Amino acid sequence: MLLSRKLNISLAALSLSVASGLFAAAAQADTLRVGMSGGYFPFTFVEQDELKGFEVDVMNAVGEITGDDIEFVTASFSGLAGMLESGRIDTIANQITITPEREAKYVFTSPYVYDGAQVVVKAGNDTIQGVEDLSGKSVAVNLGSNYEQLLREQPNADEIDIRTYESNIEQDVALGRVEAFVMDRVSATQVIKEKNLPLELAGQPFSTIENALPFRDDEAGREQRDRVGAALSELRDNGELREISEKWFDTDITQP
Amino acid sequence: MLNLEYMWGLLPVLLRYLPLTLQMATIAMIFALILACLLAVVRVSKVPVLNGFSLLFISFFRGTPLLVQLFLFYYGLPQLISSLIAITGVTAAVLGLTLHFSAYMAESIRAAIVGIDRSQTEAALSIGMTQSQLMRRIILPQATRVATPTLMNYFIDMIKATSLAFTLGVTELMGATQKEAAGSFLYLEAFLLVALIYWAVVEVLSWGQRRLEIYLNKAYQR
Repeated sequence: MLLSRKLNISLAALSLSVASGLFAAAAQADTLRVGMSGGYFPFTFVEQDELKGFEVDVMNAVGEITGDDIEFVTASFSGLAGMLESGRIDTIANQITITPEREAKYVFTSPYVYDGAQVVVKAGNDTIQGVEDLSGKSVAVNLGSNYEQLLREQPNADEIDIRTYESNIEQDVALGRVEAFVMDRVSATQVIKEKNLPLELAGQPFSTIENALPFRDDEAGREQRDRVGAALSELRDNGELREISEKWFDTDITQP
Repeated sequence: MLNLEYMWGLLPVLLRYLPLTLQMATIAMIFALILACLLAVVRVSKVPVLNGFSLLFISFFRGTPLLVQLFLFYYGLPQLISSLIAITGVTAAVLGLTLHFSAYMAESIRAAIVGIDRSQTEAALSIGMTQSQLMRRIILPQATRVATPTLMNYFIDMIKATSLAFTLGVTELMGATQKEAAGSFLYLEAFLLVALIYWAVVEVLSWGQRRLEIYLNKAYQR
């Protein structure tokens, strides 16, 4: 009894003292809370405390059309799905790939990025030319991403040593700690080009990927999905989506 | 080579997140201390029913990883009890740190209490002190001195454990570093800098701990 009362008091005191509204993500009718990792260059990343990237620009453009206030919430990638499910955010803008499992759980907008899964190795490593050469090799993927699933669907899946990472997979391949990583082709190309890491693409992409925004599968979620989906089509039609893509990638990744 | 210019530019950015890290750890430490004292006293005095509860509490919160507990409270429980959604990430992190560390601290406080020589208890009871007077006036003050070094250890550990809060969407020192490193790809620089910041904080605390121990040892100086 005493203990539980103590806890109640502490809870109340805490929400007063620390939280002070800074992180209070209270749902408002015209606020769209968008979750992202902030750790996925050039889609979402931070420079000098400023959140930037393709996803940030796209969501801000969506907000311009729908009139919603866009509130970005950053969290570790592995925490984002939990945040969406528990209603702390409304959607995730972090290159979420449409998969049957996710479609069973969430409602998606139509795709706004088309891409492929790409094997990346340390520069100079020519023993790996594609996914079929990964047998007996260690391959890094991000925890909670769907690349692990894609790898497990390969015929040689049993022979691939798949390692899941919370972050920094590029770094570990560049260091030679694992032999390859799998990521979408677009951001892999970007990482190699801009960040001067000793990495190179190994062969062609091995699977098509369609990325879209997931929403909770309930009435409010479907309503948001329709609103945001309509805004995305408008951005596609008026060429703004292409412009944002060319700003970050020098190419249009929003077309199949 | 190290990009020192980048580190220098990043320092003020990261320092903006230090107050939140320290706030979470300090508040969690205060509540954890209170809770741990209660748990320890219950365990030592074998208060019926509550003793069983303490055992279960300590067993669970010591027996499961902090990250699992945080995910359970923040993401899991709201699916059962929807009003729990009102808990913010900061509150959940502080609550998780409090419960988790109080379980450990309860055991080290209990050890400190049990370690006080029996003659102290006998002397106190012989002059007519009640059980609670004995605890408050004789045992706990002496146990405090014994427990201080280990409790400071837990506080230091707690400061570093706040880095898990980023999984709950709280951008604290470590979360800010991860995001900055993702933008610059200067991992070595970013993580080296954040390591130095944590280290400096802990060094300041260790200095405070030495002062505190000198103060608590005054009565034992010859």
